Amino acid sequence: MRGRWMLKPEEMTRAVVVGSIESLDATIECLYELGVLHLIDFTDQDDEFRIGQPLPKASDTSQKLLKLRSMIRALDIEEHKPAHAMHVHDIKARMDQALVTLDLNTSSKSDSRQKIQSLIREKDGEIRALEPIIPFDIPVELYDGYDSIASFVGVCRTDPGAALRDKMPECEVFMHPRKSDVVVAAFVKINDRAEATKILADHDFQEIKLPKVKGDPDELVVQLRKQIKDLEADLSRIEADLDAIRKQFADFIISSEEHLSIEILKAETPLHVATSANSFVIDGWVPSSRVEELKTALDTMCCGLAFMETVGTEKHEEPPVKLKNPKPVKPFEFFINLVSTPKYDEIDPTLVLFVTFPVFFGFMIGDLGFGLGLMALGAVMRWKLKSSPDLRKLGTIVLAGGLLASVFGVFLFAEAFGVPFHPPEEALDEASWESVANIPIHPVLDKMHDTQEMLGISLFAGWIHLTLGLVFGFYNHYQHSLKHALGKIAWIVILFGLFEEMMVIAGDATQTSAFVNATVYGFMPDATTSLIGVDISIPAVILILAGVIALPFTEGPLALTEVIGLFTNLVSYARLAALAVGKGAMALAFNTMLFPLIFDSGNVVIALLGAVALFVTQMFFVFFLGALSAGIQAIRLNYVEFFLKFFEGGGTDFQPLSYERKHSVATK
Amino acid sequence: MALDPGTAVGAGLALIGAGIAIGVAGLGTGIAQAQIGAAAVGATAEDPKMFGKGIVLMVLPETIVILGFVVAFLLLGKT
Repeated sequence: MRGRWMLKPEEMTRAVVVGSIESLDATIECLYELGVLHLIDFTDQDDEFRIGQPLPKASDTSQKLLKLRSMIRALDIEEHKPAHAMHVHDIKARMDQALVTLDLNTSSKSDSRQKIQSLIREKDGEIRALEPIIPFDIPVELYDGYDSIASFVGVCRTDPGAALRDKMPECEVFMHPRKSDVVVAAFVKINDRAEATKILADHDFQEIKLPKVKGDPDELVVQLRKQIKDLEADLSRIEADLDAIRKQFADFIISSEEHLSIEILKAETPLHVATSANSFVIDGWVPSSRVEELKTALDTMCCGLAFMETVGTEKHEEPPVKLKNPKPVKPFEFFINLVSTPKYDEIDPTLVLFVTFPVFFGFMIGDLGFGLGLMALGAVMRWKLKSSPDLRKLGTIVLAGGLLASVFGVFLFAEAFGVPFHPPEEALDEASWESVANIPIHPVLDKMHDTQEMLGISLFAGWIHLTLGLVFGFYNHYQHSLKHALGKIAWIVILFGLFEEMMVIAGDATQTSAFVNATVYGFMPDATTSLIGVDISIPAVILILAGVIALPFTEGPLALTEVIGLFTNLVSYARLAALAVGKGAMALAFNTMLFPLIFDSGNVVIALLGAVALFVTQMFFVFFLGALSAGIQAIRLNYVEFFLKFFEGGGTDFQPLSYERKHSVATK
Repeated sequence: MALDPGTAVGAGLALIGAGIAIGVAGLGTGIAQAQIGAAAVGATAEDPKMFGKGIVLMVLPETIVILGFVVAFLLLGKT
């Protein structure tokens, strides 16, 4: 049964693959090829079975991979995307030769590039040190190396000359003022060193470290400039060589890096596997639908040296979870993953989200114009954003929401861009599409005038949604605790009572409540009494009380505090009506302000400006903010009101042994 | 609407009461949610798995504004 039911994750079977140790390599290859086995790490070592050793090719492969990765860094091609995927046999054939050539060229070139770059930096530093002292015209070696004289070379923010000469008349000071500071070379008696240091510090002295060279600084700088020029020429030659290597080998390097990463992944798999002297045991989960496929593949690829057995599942073992939904529903798994993966035994609510999210969203937007806009936005996200799978899923969701918004916009609310097809009866002078075309569709509901009806519909939707959540909760608990499952029944009874009471209060004020009272509650005894002016339905009170009495025995006494919570859950659905009305009112407000500008001004420029202002404000406030808040509220009703009734989550994602090749193609 | 002065005042007071009920309740919820929301966002940033728990804690104070809404709605019925 489980295999067919869409509300459950894919059925898993515990599978054990055993074989002789010689076939481990082939078995791992086969498992990765199929990508259906979720490995369970082997941890309980004993005398016979130990954790396996990496396959022999692992160390050689990882060395090569290391080389390739250092080349990728040296050539700066991390982001490079090969134009064509390479065949694995090509990669293998070229690998050794290419690695030798590349290794020789790239590493030596990249080394010398680094050396030259540091030399250039060094010489640049020397120039920066020598340039300030050029105006003094003193050979560099004369600045230092005296026994009785201390020398200071550096830059001061303010002129220290006067202060120095004042304190130590025998000093010699050279100064060259620049834009914002002063270059200073001061020579003082060695005894005056401390004092000079202090004076200079008062003038924010910063020392210049002169290089250990001899000669005139002016000539030295010229020489250094020439040397740098030569070095830069060398550098650009090396860069050109590296560029050539890049052009020739970048595709190969990226493709083979991918291939070797996959090889390493396979070669290190034995580290999760139990092995003895002559055999191995791989333990894991396989989707039940693919057990046979795996059996056959092992038979053919491992020549009968390895085979698979299915094992019964023990109660405490939690299989990994692979959600199983039809293709149109798949994108909605995005919402589930955002919260948590369901447990294996839990109901997967994706299918319900597939229905409720677009319906709630569509009801809140409820406008043909905005609906079509959202569909366009969703379609762009779905088909144009190839790089981000999450955004593509979101695109599909927006598309579905937009579709429902358009449908509701046409058949329920009969409006587009916040303007009704026909003016409402209550305000016949309101602007409508009648001035453009007479659309033969009249609204079933008017957002601005049928607010009570919309509230009624919202609560009705809430009642169904919540009851479904509680039914799911009953199912989830039924498997391990009948007591808790019965608790869910108590909640359903309370909810039924609460909803009936609300509908009785509403009476015939809305068509929804009249309908519910006549159908769902038609079979209940019609006994009401009045308490402080509010109609109380006696059967509803009895139902609520019965549920409340049952709660302490099933869910525990604390559950009583949540009865109010259930009531707020139900009323919480009023946000469906509130957002629809609010969005309609926003659009109406903009239209009322700006339509007279457009139609009554008689001035083309003002009319155009009005039209632009209308477009911008509507786009921003009504379209984006409306869509954003409607989206958030629609998903929130599912997350909070619905999920909390049954969803626990915390399952393990199904992650089979597999790999993805983007830049390389496996060869059979 | 033609109402006699007494009814009109009563209806007006009821409407003001409805406004106060939902308005003040909304403020209360907002103050409570501000802090929970900040903490929840912080927790989610540290560990995305906290998103589910965060959202549940985040909406707890909504009970206040929903009760305010119910009171406002009942008061509207009195006008």
